[in-house]
Amino acid sequence: MSISMRFWGVRGSIPCPGADTVKYGGNTACIELRFQPINRLIIIDAGSGIRALGDLIMKQDLPKGPIKTEIFLTHTHWDHIMGFPFFTPIYIPGTELTIYGPVTYEEDTLDKIVGDQLRYRYFPVRQSELAAKINYEQLQECEKDLGDGIVMRTKYLNHPILCLGYRFEYQGKVLCTAYDTEPFQNVFAQNKGSPDFDKEACLEGEIVTKQENEKILKFFKDADVVIHDTQYTHKEYNPGKIGWGHSTFEYAINAAHKANVKKLFLFHHDPLRKDEELDKLEAAYQSKVRGKSALQVEAAREGRLLEI
Amino acid sequence: MERENVLYVMKSYIEKMPSLPTTVAKILQICNDPKTSPTDLNRLISLDPVLMGKVMKLINSAYYGLSQKITSLVRAIIMLGINTVKNLSLSTAVLASLGKKTDFQALNMEGFWKHSICVGSTAKLIAKKRNIDPKLLEEYFIAGLLHDIGKIPLNNRLSKNFIEALSEAERSRHPLYFAEQHILNVDHSEIGRLIVDNWKLSKDIEDVVIFHHNLTEYQGENLDILYTVAISNYFANVSELGFSGDRFPEKIQDDVFNYLGIGWQYLEEIEDDIKKEIEKAQIFLEVVK
Repeated sequence: MSISMRFWGVRGSIPCPGADTVKYGGNTACIELRFQPINRLIIIDAGSGIRALGDLIMKQDLPKGPIKTEIFLTHTHWDHIMGFPFFTPIYIPGTELTIYGPVTYEEDTLDKIVGDQLRYRYFPVRQSELAAKINYEQLQECEKDLGDGIVMRTKYLNHPILCLGYRFEYQGKVLCTAYDTEPFQNVFAQNKGSPDFDKEACLEGEIVTKQENEKILKFFKDADVVIHDTQYTHKEYNPGKIGWGHSTFEYAINAAHKANVKKLFLFHHDPLRKDEELDKLEAAYQSKVRGKSALQVEAAREGRLLEI
Repeated sequence: MERENVLYVMKSYIEKMPSLPTTVAKILQICNDPKTSPTDLNRLISLDPVLMGKVMKLINSAYYGLSQKITSLVRAIIMLGINTVKNLSLSTAVLASLGKKTDFQALNMEGFWKHSICVGSTAKLIAKKRNIDPKLLEEYFIAGLLHDIGKIPLNNRLSKNFIEALSEAERSRHPLYFAEQHILNVDHSEIGRLIVDNWKLSKDIEDVVIFHHNLTEYQGENLDILYTVAISNYFANVSELGFSGDRFPEKIQDDVFNYLGIGWQYLEEIEDDIKKEIEKAQIFLEVVK
């Protein structure tokens, strides 16, 4: 009884193939989960990495029978949905697919946001021409029994649009995602001299920020694996990238340690991050943690397979 | 009924209408200003306890399905972001200004709101399609939403006469404003004018409320938004999306369509989108009423 997890895309923002990203990979977010021994397949995000996963499914799963799977979208930013039109199983009659994800108010419905990529202006095939049976389900903060003993929980994270973290629990094993997210900030002016300063709001903001950040820690508490947004180093983040909805290595590592996580995958690498830089950052953070925490830290890499 | 009497009754009602609209105008201004700070938004909404309560109710509604209730605006702004709270507040404030259930005697509230939302959404979609400055899209929505606001006092205070007007319009297959003029010696655009004067909304919204049944006499600068709402209103009425009592509206002249460069076919194309917008707004209706 285990969850086997494989990364098919670990990059944030935009695919970035090239000589500098050969080792960690240039595809955007896509994670394959297989719940063993039943071999139930669940996919997290449909970034550009999902194309190659689709090919594997065609080769490995289709010969055994019609494909039935679920895609859980963390949110609908383009890097997390762009691979969908290239996911070959959607063209195969008999495929049954449910796509879950959150939708920000004022936006279109989930099927429109994801499916509208399949329009002639963007793509030669239209959604209505797909052979697969696709069902869309808008998700909120919830707990859901997925059957086969798999329980899924979701938690709103902090990103410019609604974005969900996922927590999958199966036979005592726990895997969590916490991307794309940034620690909550007290957005109320803190400088007493500012005309915008409002003492009460500022003080309440302090408390709320702390509580909301603690809730996210609680969400991945005691997880075997946490896959966390670490797009920036602290130096890169502060002050230029505050409010962009991404976390730092430092924050993710501290949070995972506090939440008693066993293994942390550094995820959603910045498109500018080169392999050698990631090697160095990974080694540096591993050595910082060594001896001080039982937490294992690893930079997510395309193709990396882990049995939980 | 004597025109003077009608106006007297209407004015005394309108003076007592809730103060929310001031907030609508301010929120509109604040939403269009990208420099608005969280403190500004927090201060503005906190000033109006009714709006505050409704925004909180909406944040805690089924739409977000938050596992823990949010009870403070500061928390809502930190958690959901300033833009989300801005949008929620705007929609809440605007919808609340359309009146409560007790305001509805003759017309059915559900139907009236659906009609209003339909006209607002259609106007916004048309504006979007025509590449109108995105900053102005909310104005199109609100102008469409509020165009029939004059029917609320009629409906409430002169419901008997208003019902008479509704049935005359139905019986003789006339536009409603025509029947209103016959029975009450005023029509809902005139009553709308009294309201917008009192509320001090922006000029374009004012013009839409006053002139949406009288396009040919309009001399002002807001022809674009006026024509857009007039077409949206006609479309909502003949497609029977919602109901505001106007089953036999006057046909919109071709030059109005030509001015905007759109045809009837386009409206039919976006009908599904409009229906989805109405569905989405349903959650607001639940909260606001």
